[in-house]
Amino acid sequence: MMKEKIAIIAELYRGRFTRATHEVISFARELGSAGARLEIIIPGKNIRGLAEEIARTSGIDVIGIEAEALDLYSAEPFRSAILDILKDMNPAYVCLPHSAMGFDLAPGLAVDLGAACITAVDEVREDEKGIYFLKSMWGGKMRAELVPMTQRVVLTVLPGAWTISVEESDLAGSVRVVKAKLAFEASEVTLMEAPGERESELPGADVIVSAGRGIGKEENLGMIRKLAGIFSRGAVGASRSVCDLGWLGYKHQIGFTGRTVSPGLYIACGISGAIQHISGMKDSQMVIAINIDPHAPIFGIADYCIVEDLTEFIPALLDLMERGDPSIFS
Amino acid sequence: MRILVCVKQVPDNEGTIDINDTGTWITCGGAFRMNRFDEFALEEAVRIGEEIPDTGIEAVSVGPGRVVSTLRKALERGAAAGTHILVEEERYASPFETASLIASYAEAGHYDLIIAGVMAEDDMHCQVGQMIAAILKIRCATSVIHRGTIRNGTSVYIEREIEEGQRLCMEVALPAVLTVQSGINRPRYPSLSNILRAKDQKIRTIDANDLWKGDGRDRLISMRRPEVSAKGIFLEGGKDEKARALIKILHERALI
Repeated sequence: MMKEKIAIIAELYRGRFTRATHEVISFARELGSAGARLEIIIPGKNIRGLAEEIARTSGIDVIGIEAEALDLYSAEPFRSAILDILKDMNPAYVCLPHSAMGFDLAPGLAVDLGAACITAVDEVREDEKGIYFLKSMWGGKMRAELVPMTQRVVLTVLPGAWTISVEESDLAGSVRVVKAKLAFEASEVTLMEAPGERESELPGADVIVSAGRGIGKEENLGMIRKLAGIFSRGAVGASRSVCDLGWLGYKHQIGFTGRTVSPGLYIACGISGAIQHISGMKDSQMVIAINIDPHAPIFGIADYCIVEDLTEFIPALLDLMERGDPSIFS
Repeated sequence: MRILVCVKQVPDNEGTIDINDTGTWITCGGAFRMNRFDEFALEEAVRIGEEIPDTGIEAVSVGPGRVVSTLRKALERGAAAGTHILVEEERYASPFETASLIASYAEAGHYDLIIAGVMAEDDMHCQVGQMIAAILKIRCATSVIHRGTIRNGTSVYIEREIEEGQRLCMEVALPAVLTVQSGINRPRYPSLSNILRAKDQKIRTIDANDLWKGDGRDRLISMRRPEVSAKGIFLEGGKDEKARALIKILHERALI
């Protein structure tokens, strides 16, 4: 029997592979550990150097597809170029990062390939009957196990769920770079920074105090700001839902679509710990979580867990801190 | 301009859901509501309607009888018509199945725009909009955080939210599917006149079997609660004791 193939769609950002791409490679190695053949597909404008680099470090065969229209991502030229390669390759699995590129592309590819599509996969399980893909549902309150009903499967891999392998391969993979035959002359896409992004204090902060929907009302932001102000390089962060409510601007948002941060200390206040938020802060050196729900998923990654109503706990904490009573340190 | 808005009904509160007897989906002991991302989708359609005269907005939802209440909410928020694609059972529906049903319904409607939320809050897939577009062979852009002018009804300027606070900006030819990110607008409360109009308005029901017969391409075989394996330490005592313990920890780590 011919070896099963696993295709990995690489994602580039400002001329480099994204972290999520390396994580998808780790995922594909696990998925194919029974002996599948891996291949990396790199769509882009000018990618030979990158293709050679990843073939050398990973030992995986690489196909690059080049075209002017593959500079910045947009669905039509990317899908068309990738489909051309996939039709020849005929892989059992097509793996992408669950990023703004990956989830834009994957469902359409699956329809075209007659494949199942399973998104935001964060765990794989295998038994004698087959391979199962696991993912979070209901903001992390439930885990579901899904099984494809088709020969082919398109998967997106949740960022942060697999670690990047640092091991370099002894034997470089092969490199083939082809010109894409596309009806699109050039990329008609431009990149811009989201408004307010530049004023964000999050990148330089040593301590981030973050507010989630659990703070209850906008007025309670006062105590979050006050707590952040206690630390010399403290900043206020937020979950997406707090930004959506308009309580804080999007420049404060941490998580999957916002910023990824790794401060020395992260204090999560009223944040349930949906996977989208956790993926943006789990590399913080120390995490303290304050939440009234003892089953909140955020406690799964916190170093110190405080089950309290934050509207009572934070004022008590601030009160003790402000008193500066040295006996509290003993 | 003809707009179809896809709305999903989800449990109002994650605290009221439980795993069903077969372990393959959930039961909900509480109320249901419209998926939040779809509220943004509907509001965006209403705004387009305010910019372009003679815009018809229709809402569609797939699910059991209960989803009619969410369609009525969509009428209150400004949709002119609602269509319910009836799937009797309470079960997991593969995104391909939902997309196939909506695409089959939408084919004859010749919509200029199909708008949906970027993701369903329940199964968190981010798939249905893209699949509808692929089945209908029309354009699609996901994670839309800003919409600009619609030019002569033939194309629309959009900005997609991507990682690290960046956006990709492009012109999308119509017809197209847009899936919108939360924050694209601020959904407004329904007006009294819309609430009154929605009260008695008929919602059309179509049996799913009359639209599309097929199978989902994935099956949900088990559902469980995650083990919150707390690696961390739960601070003990009353709130003052916990506060003291926390200050001690921060002090020992030279954080204060």
